[in-house]
Amino acid sequence: MEANASGVEKRHLPNRLGVKGWVWAGRYTIERYLYTLHRLTGLGLLLYITLHLVMNGFRLSGAESWTDLMELFGSPGFKVGEYLVMAAFIFHALNGGRLILQHLGYTLGNPKPPVYPYVDSMRRRRPITWVILAVIVALAIYVLVEFVT
Amino acid sequence: MKETQLKILQYVSGIGLFFFVGAHLLVSHLSSGEPTTWESVSGRAASSGWLAFYILLLIFGIYHGLHGLRTIILEFSIPNTAVKVLNWAFVIVGMAIFGYAAYIPINAF
Repeated sequence: MEANASGVEKRHLPNRLGVKGWVWAGRYTIERYLYTLHRLTGLGLLLYITLHLVMNGFRLSGAESWTDLMELFGSPGFKVGEYLVMAAFIFHALNGGRLILQHLGYTLGNPKPPVYPYVDSMRRRRPITWVILAVIVALAIYVLVEFVT
Repeated sequence: MKETQLKILQYVSGIGLFFFVGAHLLVSHLSSGEPTTWESVSGRAASSGWLAFYILLLIFGIYHGLHGLRTIILEFSIPNTAVKVLNWAFVIVGMAIFGYAAYIPINAF
């Protein structure tokens, strides 16, 4: 990796749009928005895990302290939060599986000659994205039903 | 380590988390019994299998989370010195979180 005058390595193209580029930088495909959601759910899960580990520390204070905490988490507000965490995990895990397969080249398909109208490999393999999304929605609904009933 | 090796570890830890977090959610959040009562939690804490499960979950989770956060931060063009500081900061923070989080199940075992 070369470095420029300011000592910044050229690891990738310059990120001119910053955080705004996560959300909108023109005519994105569905996969690009899944990337944004993957990032948001990842950050959300990281925040939740940090809180979860702090909460686990209450175990050290004994049974009474633990029981009080669990009663608090039984309230409807926390239940909604718990469901959102599970939905975020379902999305992050299954979309992550799609990304791994894609990064390793398994879901990109064979290269084709560039004959007009051009169709890139992502669009040719779009059904995989729809199937993954359908599984995510089905699992999220199943977990919601489990929570409600 | 090379960035490609770190990325492969990110994939491996992600696949591991799929199973470990999935099992954790099924047992602690979706099971029909009372998985979060003191008795249930203490019962699991006394099992060496569950202890190994939680330690592996922690290792995979801390690596995957911190490496993911590092990837996001590195997308912003930051100087090489800051990247080195960031790398070491993440190693130290990761070890500190692991020490704190692993102490809880080990203490309860």
